[in-house]
Amino acid sequence: MNWITICDEQALPAKRGIAAWVAGKAVAVFHLGDAGIYAIDNIDPATGVSVLSRGLLCEFDNELYVASPLHKQHYSLTTGRCLENEALSIDIYEIKRQSGKILARLPA
Amino acid sequence: MKVDKPKLVIVGNGMVGHHFVEQLCEQQLNRHYDVTVFGSESLPAYDRVQLSKYFESSSADSLMLATETDYAAQGVGLQLGQQVSNIDQHNKQLTVNGETVFYDTLVLATGSFPFVPPIKGNDRRDCLVYRTIDDLEAIEQAATTAKSGVVIGGGLLGLEAANALSALGLDTHVVEFAPQLMSVQLNDRGGELLKQKIEALGLGVHLSKATQEIIDGERAQHRLNFSDGSFLETDMIVFSAGIRPQDALARECGISIGERGGIVIDDCCLTSAKDVYAIGECALWQQQIFGLVAPGYQMAKVAVSQIAKQLLDNSLVSPATEALRFTGADMSTKLKLLGVDVASIGESRGFEHAQYVELSDVQAGVYKKLWLDETGEYLRGAVLVGNVDDYSHLLSQYLSGEALEDPAVTLLMVDDSAPLVLKDNAIVCSCHQVTKADIVEQVIAGKHQLAEIKSCTKAASGCGGCAAVVQQIIDETMQAQGLETESGICCHFDYDRQALFHLCQVENISDFEQLYQLHAKDASKLALGCDICKPVAASIFATLENEYVLNEKHVALQDSNDAYLGNLQKDGSYSVVPRVAGGEITPDKLIAMGQIAKRYDLYTKITGGQRIDMFGAALSDLPAIWSELIAEGFETGHAYGKSLRTVKSCVGNTWCRYGVQDSLGLAIALENRYKGLRSPHKIKFAVSGCTRECAEAQSKDIGVIATEKGWNLFVCGNGGMRPRHGDLFATDLSTEQLVSYIDRILMFYTKTAARLQRTSVWLESLVGGLEYLQSVIVDDSLGLGAELESQMSKIVASYQCEWKTSLQDDVFLQRFNEFINPNDAPLRDETQYQYQRAQKFPMSSEVQTFGAVTHGLSKTGDIAITQLDEEEVLV
Ligand SMILES: Cc1cc2nc3c(=O)[nH]c(=O)nc-3n(C[C@H](O)[C@H](O)[C@H](O)COP(=O)(O)OP(=O)(O)OC[C@H]3O[C@@H](n4cnc5c(N)ncnc54)[C@H](O)[C@@H]3O)c2cc1C
Ligand code: SF4
Ligand code: FES
Repeated sequence: MNWITICDEQALPAKRGIAAWVAGKAVAVFHLGDAGIYAIDNIDPATGVSVLSRGLLCEFDNELYVASPLHKQHYSLTTGRCLENEALSIDIYEIKRQSGKILARLPA
Repeated sequence: MKVDKPKLVIVGNGMVGHHFVEQLCEQQLNRHYDVTVFGSESLPAYDRVQLSKYFESSSADSLMLATETDYAAQGVGLQLGQQVSNIDQHNKQLTVNGETVFYDTLVLATGSFPFVPPIKGNDRRDCLVYRTIDDLEAIEQAATTAKSGVVIGGGLLGLEAANALSALGLDTHVVEFAPQLMSVQLNDRGGELLKQKIEALGLGVHLSKATQEIIDGERAQHRLNFSDGSFLETDMIVFSAGIRPQDALARECGISIGERGGIVIDDCCLTSAKDVYAIGECALWQQQIFGLVAPGYQMAKVAVSQIAKQLLDNSLVSPATEALRFTGADMSTKLKLLGVDVASIGESRGFEHAQYVELSDVQAGVYKKLWLDETGEYLRGAVLVGNVDDYSHLLSQYLSGEALEDPAVTLLMVDDSAPLVLKDNAIVCSCHQVTKADIVEQVIAGKHQLAEIKSCTKAASGCGGCAAVVQQIIDETMQAQGLETESGICCHFDYDRQALFHLCQVENISDFEQLYQLHAKDASKLALGCDICKPVAASIFATLENEYVLNEKHVALQDSNDAYLGNLQKDGSYSVVPRVAGGEITPDKLIAMGQIAKRYDLYTKITGGQRIDMFGAALSDLPAIWSELIAEGFETGHAYGKSLRTVKSCVGNTWCRYGVQDSLGLAIALENRYKGLRSPHKIKFAVSGCTRECAEAQSKDIGVIATEKGWNLFVCGNGGMRPRHGDLFATDLSTEQLVSYIDRILMFYTKTAARLQRTSVWLESLVGGLEYLQSVIVDDSLGLGAELESQMSKIVASYQCEWKTSLQDDVFLQRFNEFINPNDAPLRDETQYQYQRAQKFPMSSEVQTFGAVTHGLSKTGDIAITQLDEEEVLV
C-alpha cells in the first residue's frame, strides 16, 4: 500500500482525535505533540461503529490508549490491542510528515 | 398416611411478632409447622420505632416491615384486623371473631397499650394517644383545625409526640407530673438542661403539674385544670403517660401475670401455660418489662430456638442442641428529641453508694454524668445531654464489664480526634446485637460497602444510630488488610472527587495540565490522564468557573457527549434535546420542532422528563439543526452533560381544580435558574401542585410539593435502577427560602459528592444522613451557607447556551466535519436506517411490535401502547 496524504499537519487538533478517509476506510488520527502522531482504524471492533476518533485519550503505564466513546474499552495506539478483551484488536497505520503534510499507510 | 403438621399460632403482628416469624422462616421452621398469625391492626407489621416519620409523608409506606404477599410467599397465614378474644389453655384453643382455632404451640406478642390516666374528661373530643398509625392519622386530622396542642407526659415518647405536634404547626406544650423531663432516663440536672433547650425551641414545658380534670375551654376547645389551681387551654391533647403491657388475654385465661401487669416468662420465654410463649413488650422477665424493641427481638430469637429444639427432640434424629436463653437486655438508648441529643446508659439515674463524675458546661449546653461502682473502678451508667459523641465509646466500656484503665474523669473529655478503639466483643449495634467481630468477619469475607454489611449482619438497619461506627470498622479493617479504602478516582490521582474539588478551589487550578503536574501520582510530560480523571476535572472546572465547556483548554477533557454537545447513540449518531422548561411549550414551537425533525429525518419521542428527544442526527448535521432550533427560540437542554436535566411539573393551580400553588410557574423558574449547572451526576427536579403529587416529585433529586402555606421540599429521591423515595427536608417554605435551600444543597452536593454519585447515594454516604444535611443547610452548622449561595449565583449569572456560543466559533464548527479530508470521503450512507411505525431506526436494531400485546386489543390498541410506555420499555 502506498502513502496517502490526509491533511496539513496544522489542521490536526491537539490531544484529541479526528477521523480521516484513507484508501476506502475511516481512520482515527491523534496528534500528541512531541509524543507523536498516531492513526488507528476508526471502527470500534466491539460494536462495529465508526467512532474511535471521538474517544478520550488515556495514558496507562507509559502506553497510549483511546477509550471507545460507546462502551469505554481501551485500545492501544501502538499495538492496537484492547486492554479489556484480548479477542479484540484494531489495525494500526504508519504515519509520516512530509513538507507540512501528514501521510498514512497500512503496514505491509 | 398424611400426618397433619403441628399448628403454631402467633397473636400480635407488631414489631416483635413479625421478627419472630422472620426468624422462624430463616430457620425454615415454617416447613414443619402450620403457621398462622392474628393481628388486630389492619396493616401488617410496621416500624413503630420510626412511627413519627409517618408525618413526613402522611403515609405508612416507608414504615412497612412486610406485606401480606411476603407472608403468603412464606406459606404463613396472616389474618389482619382479627382480635383474639379468648384462650382456653387446657383444650389448647383460641376464639377469634366467635370462631375456634386450635393450636399446638402459641406465641403471645401482644405488645402494650398507652396508659391514659383516669382524669375526668379524658374521653373528650380530640383527646388522643400516640402508638399506632391509626392514632397518628387521628392526630393529623385533629391538627387541621387545632391551633394548639398539649402532650400529657414528659417522657421519651411524650417528647417525640410534642415534636410531631410542633412540626404540624401547633402551639405545643408538654405537661409533666414529675418535677423533671424524662425522669426514667435522666437525672435532675440532665432533665433541667433538656427543658431549657426545648423551651428555647418555643415549646412550653410545665413541670410538677397534676391534671385534675379537662373541661370546656374559653379560648380553646379544652381547659386542663391542675391541682395547684393553675390551668392551661388547648385545642387537642395527646396522652403519653407511659405504656402498660397488653396482658388481658393471658390474664383472663389464668396465665400468671405480674403484680403490676405483664405476662410472666422464664428464661425460655415460656409462660405458666404449657406450650405458650410470650415475647416483646407484653412479657415480664424477672419483674422487668422491656419497653424497647431490641430486647423483644432477642426474646423472639430465644422462642424460635426453643421451638426448634423441641422439634429436634421429638424427631429423635439428632441429639438435642443447646437452645438459646433470655438473659436480660441492655436498655441504653441514644436519641435526638426535638433536635436535642440525649443518651442514657445502664444505671443512668444512679444507685446507693455509687461514685460519680460530672460535667456541666452551661456555655456549650452540655451535661454529662457517669456513675461508677463503689470502688470507682467500673462504669455502671451514664447520662449525656447536648453532646452524645462519646456514646459508643462509653457503651462499649460499660458492656465490656472491665475495669477502667484511666481515671473516670478522663472519660468526660474524650478526645474527638483519637480514633475509637473497640474490643472485638463490643456490641456495636445494640438493635441487632451485632459485635465488632461479626462485622470484621464480613469485611474480611469481601463485603466492603455499608449497604452489604447492613444486609448480611443487620447492623445499622434498626435505629441507624450505629452507622458511623460500622463505617469506621469497615475502613479500619480494610486498612489493616492493606486494602485501599476507596479514595483515588483512578490510577493517576490518589484523591477522590471531593479532595480534587477542594485542591482546585484553594489553589485556583483551572486547567488539567496544571492539576496533573501538581497532584498526579506519577510525573508524565504528556499529562494525558484518562477517561476517568479528565471528565471529573472538566466537571470541577465547570462548577468553579462555569466557563464555556468547549473552549480550547477544556475540550480535550470532555467525554464524547460533552465534546459534541449531543448524546452519542449506539450507531454513532447523536440525539438532539432542546430545553422545554417545565414541559410547557407553545403550539408554534411544537410545529417548528416538528418541521425541523422532519427536515433532518429525526426519530422523535416524548421523554419521561416532559420534553422531546430527536434521535438519529448525523454528527455533521448537528450545527445546522441547532442553528434552526435557536432561530425558533429554543436553547440547549444539556441532555449530554452531567447537569440539571429537567424540572417536571403538573399544571398546578393554573388549571387543575385541586392545585394550591402555581407549580408550573415554579418549575419553569427553577429550570431556568439551574440550567447549565454541572454536577457529579445528572440532576432531576419535579414540582407538584398539591399532595396528589402528579409530577412524582418524591422520586427526584429535588422534589417540591405545594402546600396551602408554601412548599414542602423533598431531597435525594431517585427513580432508575435503584429507586429511592426522597426525604422530606423542610415544610411550608416560602419561595425565597426554598430557592436558598436548593442553592445550598446543590452546591454542597457538587462540592462533596464522589464521581458519578447520584444525590440518593450521596445522602446515604453522609455520616449523619438527612439530619446532618439539614444542619449544614438549615442551621448552617459549617458556616458555609453564604459561600454556597454566592457560588451558585455566580453560576446562574454566567449561564450561556453552549450551542449558541459554539455556533459563532469557526474552530468549533470544524470539529463537526465527519472527516478531516471530506473531499476524499464518500457521501453519507443512508442505508443504515430502517423505517418502522412510520419513523426511522438504526438498521442494526430489532424493532419489536409486540404482537402478543396488541393482539386481540386491536380496537383499543392505544391502551396497549400506553401500558408499554409506562413500563418505560424505551427509556
Ligand atoms: C412513638 C414510638 C417511638 C418509639 N421509639 C423507640 C426507640 O427509639 N427505640 C426502641 O427500642 N423502641 C422504641 N419504641 C418502642 C417499640 O416500638 C416497641 O418496643 C416495640 O414496638 C414492641 O413490639 P411488640 O411487638 O412487643 O409490640 P407492638 O409493636 O405494640 O405490637 C403488638 C401488636 O399486637 C396486636 N395485638 C394486641 N392484642 C391482640 C389480640 N388480642 N389479638 C390480635 N392482635 C393483638 C396489637 O394490635 C399490635 O399490633 C417506640 C414506640 C413508639 C410508640
Ligand atoms: S399534583 Fe395536585 S395540582 Fe398537580 S395536577 Fe395533580 S392534583 Fe392537580
Ligand atoms: S444500634 Fe440501632 S441500628 Fe444499630
